Amino acid sequence: MIKRLQDIIKRASQHLHLNTRLINYYWQRTRRNKLAVAGLAFIVFLVALAIIGPFFTLDPTEANFEEKNMPPAGFVTEQSVYNIETDEVTTKEVHGTWKHPLGTDSKGRDMLAMIVSGARVSLQVGLIATGIAIILGTIIGVLSAYLGGWVDNALMRFTDIMMTFPFFLLLVLIIFIFGSNLAFIVLAIGLTGWTGTARLTRSESLSLRTREFVVAAKALGASDKRVIFRHLIPNVISLIIVIATLSIPGVILAEAALSFIGLGDPMVSSWGIILEAGQHSLNTAWWVAVEPGIMLFLTVLAFNFLGDGLRDAFDPKSNI
Amino acid sequence: MNNVILKVSNLKTYFFTSRGTVKAVDGVDFELRHGECLCLVGESGCGKTVTALSILRLFDSPPGEIVDGQISYDGLNLTNCSSEQLRQIRGKDISMVFQEAQSALNPVLTIGDQIIEQIKLHLPLNYSKAEDRAMTLLEEMGIPSAERVMSYYPHQLSGGMKQRVLIAMGLSCDPQILIADEPTTAVDVTIKAQILDIFRDLKTSRQMSTIFITHDLAVVAEIGDRAVVLYGGKDVETAPVSEIINNPKHPYTSGLIECLPDISKSTGKLASIPGTTPNPLKMPQGCAFHPRCPKAMEICSHQEPLETVISKEHRVNCHLYK
Amino acid sequence: MEKSWLRDYIIKRLLYAVIIAWGILTITFIMVRVGPSSPADKYLANLAARGQDVAEVRAAIEARYGLDQPIYEQYIDYMGNLFQGNWGWSFSTSMPVIELIKTHWIYSFQLILLSSLFAAFLGILIGIYSAVKQYTKTDYAFTFFSFVGISIPNFWLGVMLILIFSVKLGLFKTYYDTTLPLFSLDNLKALVLPVITLGTGMLAGYVRYTRSAMLDNLRKAFVTTARAKGLPERTVIGKHVFRNALLPLITIIMFDLGSIVFGGAYLTEIIFGIPGLGQISFNAIFANDYPVVVAVTLIGTFMVLLVNLVTDITYTYLDPRIRYD
Repeated sequence: MIKRLQDIIKRASQHLHLNTRLINYYWQRTRRNKLAVAGLAFIVFLVALAIIGPFFTLDPTEANFEEKNMPPAGFVTEQSVYNIETDEVTTKEVHGTWKHPLGTDSKGRDMLAMIVSGARVSLQVGLIATGIAIILGTIIGVLSAYLGGWVDNALMRFTDIMMTFPFFLLLVLIIFIFGSNLAFIVLAIGLTGWTGTARLTRSESLSLRTREFVVAAKALGASDKRVIFRHLIPNVISLIIVIATLSIPGVILAEAALSFIGLGDPMVSSWGIILEAGQHSLNTAWWVAVEPGIMLFLTVLAFNFLGDGLRDAFDPKSNI
Repeated sequence: MNNVILKVSNLKTYFFTSRGTVKAVDGVDFELRHGECLCLVGESGCGKTVTALSILRLFDSPPGEIVDGQISYDGLNLTNCSSEQLRQIRGKDISMVFQEAQSALNPVLTIGDQIIEQIKLHLPLNYSKAEDRAMTLLEEMGIPSAERVMSYYPHQLSGGMKQRVLIAMGLSCDPQILIADEPTTAVDVTIKAQILDIFRDLKTSRQMSTIFITHDLAVVAEIGDRAVVLYGGKDVETAPVSEIINNPKHPYTSGLIECLPDISKSTGKLASIPGTTPNPLKMPQGCAFHPRCPKAMEICSHQEPLETVISKEHRVNCHLYK
Repeated sequence: MEKSWLRDYIIKRLLYAVIIAWGILTITFIMVRVGPSSPADKYLANLAARGQDVAEVRAAIEARYGLDQPIYEQYIDYMGNLFQGNWGWSFSTSMPVIELIKTHWIYSFQLILLSSLFAAFLGILIGIYSAVKQYTKTDYAFTFFSFVGISIPNFWLGVMLILIFSVKLGLFKTYYDTTLPLFSLDNLKALVLPVITLGTGMLAGYVRYTRSAMLDNLRKAFVTTARAKGLPERTVIGKHVFRNALLPLITIIMFDLGSIVFGGAYLTEIIFGIPGLGQISFNAIFANDYPVVVAVTLIGTFMVLLVNLVTDITYTYLDPRIRYD
């Protein structure tokens, strides 16, 4: 069974002309960048958290007013309690417990569960929306470079127009018009975030076409298809990988920001929504604002470290 | 030796990199006399450029450091004088001209700006006098319409003109010593001839003392008075140019001379010195040249040769002469 | 000869900007028309919520806004209106949209300007220092902090600053007061945290770009030439290296404006209650006040267009290599 898997991988990499030695080379270069490795480790942890976490945590939607506003384990806060019978306001001490290691929010929902399910949302949005943007951008960019002429002109004018729209403002407008469905949000982010990729892939394709190794390959009699697959694509792929890794944080933040201002999907507990709620209870439950923010921050940081490391690893001029 | 104006003694400049220590200059001795053109000769990587850079301490200082030796000039030891003293010497008493004039000039400043900047730094002239001086210099260098050229940017000039501008800049404050780092290497043959003419002129009209760095023995033969042959960061032979050409003692020097294409010989392959320049991170033990030397002996592989005096002006470091 | 070349370029660039502007307006129009809920629907939703009769009003609106006309006529009307300054009516605030914009844009401008100055000034200095001291601990520290700076979600930073300074420490509790002059002490105090919030991301970007532009130039041959001339190190760095680094820096910074700054300003205004365009757009979203949301988006986009135009022309004017080719 393992052998069959190996066979499949081998054949796929042959078809895609994947060069395992080259991949290993790049991996070695990346490994030397400690921050990039740390970033990768965190991302792996996050993915694991998102996939299997929900099976181990409490139900994030279960509200329990008895246990509202509990601090994380090990912290102690004071809450004011209004006693209806005696019409008095007293304060009582509330201790964090390990049942709710990250505390609870104002409705008594478990923070850890919400953070974990938020991880799922962020990663899904991150991967899918980035995927859409990258694919769209690459198609437009490469096609534009390859076809040239008025097609190139028209596509680039269109890209220029879309690029002028401030990313977030355009996103807000689209979601306002079309609605706050998570699917829409993902689609909208993908459809507005492709412009950078288009520009970069186009300029890379244009420069590759005239590079000496392509001319040399053609002079040796290589067919167009061979030139594209064995020479152009491997060079563009590394660029795409870097762009993708560095785009994911922007996408995750965009979704979080949308949720933060209330345009997110209300059915879903995104980190942005948690943060928004936390904003209003800074006095009583500061952890509700701190925790999702830390997660967002670390996630973005991890992808930035990794993307930067990959970019240096792929760049032949950087001495690693 | 009372007309020696610069004396380099046992200079050692090492570069401490993450991949090891590069001993770019590992014990170089020579002296420069007034009015002469001294050539530093050798293949790329032999340390001649770093030697020149060391005189004014212009190499990048985190990796590079002068670890030993002295450079005596005007009563100072340039290897450890203060940076303020060094700054006053740079561009004024000792000037340096680099190869590849395209990248040696600042692309976003005008030619005039770059020359005047240096003049005003060292000489007490006001702006318009400095401007006049700069234009005179450009004209002396054979640059036509100097006034227009002053307002040009480097990319608007041809390669030959740029090199002349660099030389003009070097001469702008009447330095005592001019160091030229391969000024003829990156240019084509006609410009090379013009530039060599300029250097010949400098010697006769200004009695300028020059240190001329090159790998091209033909250039050495044309304008040099004396030559120092460098290999592996050390000087291996020092002699007047006529001696070097006609009576080379070190096998490397003879090898270099044989490499010069001789148009009178119509048959045969071009001669070359077998092997490649040594890896600066892993120099051979003993004499650095021994792996490529046709006359290598047993002693050459484990002992460094000491200096042998052949005649008053001719020194060699080789086990063949002891 | 040089002057007319520049003039030709400016004209060409302006024409191009006009084309882009047309494209922006057209795409916005398409989005509005294609959307499932039209401006009319949103307005009617408001009315319905207040218990009014919807059917009659719908007919009146459609007649008034020409929503029953064929699409190309609507398009012409749309363009015409925009040029005449009729940007619609904001029913949540009962005034013409253009009035709303005129009264509020200055606060956004102030916030963005102050944040940019803060970020640019500090960022460029740190970037230069970091590049000159490459491989030292200080450089590593600054580089690390610039990573942190661009990774921190700026809306979270705002909330954290409020938590730390206003809630826990009791500082900077003033709110922005539009009745006071723009640069009054109270208002400036109220702007400290917002400027830090918006500025930090920009600052980190400036540091990175400046550092990288400086590093690109520090190893170049002309730097050695400058030193060989005897110039003091601060002149070598400040005049020779920096001038070369400045040109690409300007373009990168300006072009970043649209993608990062405006989105950041939007969120910052909301968090700190600054009455700028972001704030009124936010309010409009929840009041279903369609025209305002569209208008703010368009204003932001045109600002980006303008900045790109100015930067492009400035860069072309400044770079001697382009000028004389």
